[in-house]
Amino acid sequence: MAIAATIPSAQFEGLRPVDGQGLKKKTVEPILKTENLWKLYRAGKVEVPALRGVNFSVAPGESVAVMGPSGCGKSTLLYTIGGLASASRGTVLVDGNDLAQMSDAERTKLRRSKIGFVFQRFNLLPTMTAKGNIAIAQYIHGDGFDPHRFDVVTKLLGLEGRLSHKPSEMSGGEQQRVAIARAIINEPKILLADEPTGNLDTKNSDVVLEMLRQLNKELGQTIVMITHNPEAVTYFDRVVHMRDGVIVDGVPAD
Amino acid sequence: MMGEMILRNLLHRPIRTFIGVLAVAVEVSLVVLIVGLTSGILHETAKRVEGVGADVLLQPSSAGRLMGMTNSPMPVKIKERLVELQYIQSVAPVLLQFNSSGGVELIYGIDKSFDEVSGGFVYLQGHGMEGPDDMLLDELAMQSKHVKVGQKFQLLNHEWNVVGIVEHGKGSRIFVPLSTLQSLSGSTDKASLFYIKCTRPEHTEDVIAEIKGILPNYTLTAIKDYVSMMTTTSIPGLNVFVDAMIGLAVCIGLLVIFLTMYTTVIERTRDIGVLKSLGANSPFIVRAVLCESAMLCLLGIFAGVGLSYAVRAGFLKAFPTLAILITPEWILKAAAIALIGAVLGASYPAWVASRKDAVEALTFD
Repeated sequence: MAIAATIPSAQFEGLRPVDGQGLKKKTVEPILKTENLWKLYRAGKVEVPALRGVNFSVAPGESVAVMGPSGCGKSTLLYTIGGLASASRGTVLVDGNDLAQMSDAERTKLRRSKIGFVFQRFNLLPTMTAKGNIAIAQYIHGDGFDPHRFDVVTKLLGLEGRLSHKPSEMSGGEQQRVAIARAIINEPKILLADEPTGNLDTKNSDVVLEMLRQLNKELGQTIVMITHNPEAVTYFDRVVHMRDGVIVDGVPAD
Repeated sequence: MMGEMILRNLLHRPIRTFIGVLAVAVEVSLVVLIVGLTSGILHETAKRVEGVGADVLLQPSSAGRLMGMTNSPMPVKIKERLVELQYIQSVAPVLLQFNSSGGVELIYGIDKSFDEVSGGFVYLQGHGMEGPDDMLLDELAMQSKHVKVGQKFQLLNHEWNVVGIVEHGKGSRIFVPLSTLQSLSGSTDKASLFYIKCTRPEHTEDVIAEIKGILPNYTLTAIKDYVSMMTTTSIPGLNVFVDAMIGLAVCIGLLVIFLTMYTTVIERTRDIGVLKSLGANSPFIVRAVLCESAMLCLLGIFAGVGLSYAVRAGFLKAFPTLAILITPEWILKAAAIALIGAVLGASYPAWVASRKDAVEALTFD
């Protein structure tokens, strides 16, 4: 099913936050903040710093693109702020919760309720249909299947005709839309995207980027995205550059 | 949702799922059939002894529960002393001969007093033994040995005339004249046991007490007690054998399930990373792996029960005299054993899956 590059604004009805939460407010606390964040990996007897004292913050409703050469620590930053990896030093505040002080179980619980991930390789469960891949996120969240929310999100992303198909039966663009649906189905505070257009052609890349932009503009979804694509940055409020485990520019003046 | 995920995972690798199901099916059917065979043989033997219709069994002191396992037969003259006792209606001496060529069976050497104790055979074909070389078989032995009335049959290096086919259930499957068997086995005027019929069943204990008074060195058993004694636990070493076979079956199932789930976890490393990125905690991952193993096991249990009945049918067709007793109790026990084995076998793979680093798992190829 062909999907328009722009989703009509009316389709966001039923998804918009009622009280204005999530919309960009410069006066509120950052929804994401790292202070002197270090991440060290051990390679044999040597400690390799992937992040070296990163100070980074994102306001609620903001969309930020993180760019940098391969190996600069972009993915490590994403996984650390998403709670998939633990910080070696420093603080990682997500919606007021310091991930650096949490156990793996506590970070998992926080990730379940507040963070959505979109990956470059889609990372859909190959044995499940599109519907199953999206519904399992609701099941893990613990509230069970919400058919209304499911219908709204799948319709928003133009997936109605593909729900019974497995990932192997879908194009890259469709798979990534399923991945985005899975990431936002539980209304996360932050959407973290690790090069979501890395495996897509130009046309599908534009579609996905436009979807992310509209999620941010219409729903106030806070988005942090890693990308190598210079053209992608035009879809985001702010661009942050990293090199050798540190942010070299783009830190907000808050 | 978990059920759908598990079912789809099982269907995604049909050959691997089939191997796992087959292993559990073999495990279940091994347990059911081994127990069924041992208890079936014992139960069937006991029922045939009961079917003779006697009230008391007199055996040498060295006799084991499994008849025929004795090297010290008794003088037939004991019968003359027994028939004089109060409350005894009739006594039938029987010489047992164990035969292992062409099949494992116990041959009864009997005389006319056997009919007095048992009430006589029910003849399906032919007539009773009249000559020294006559032989009777029950219908199951006839099917097993493919013989007919009027044919010759070679047994114990002797040629017999098959003169009658009798209804099964009276002591043995093969009957020959006592005197001929005594002469063939070098046990002239000897008997392996005596079946004793009381005037009334209520006198059984009195008869046993009376016989013990005159024959203190022999083993006397009320037939009703004999039947209840024929279990795997009362035969020395048999329950150990059964337990060992059950243990072997469990090991087979456990190892195959372990291998199946371990390769599954390795193959689905990235999927585990995806689930963790969605917020699935360690108990969720463990539960998913154990539930998949349990479902595999359940399918195997159903297949195993079916396999057990199919194998039994095959055995009975090929060996009609074999008794394999399949009971609901042991089907449930075999199912429980298989399930415990499956959960144990999947425990380590489940633990490995729950401990996987999410970031490493997501980048796994």
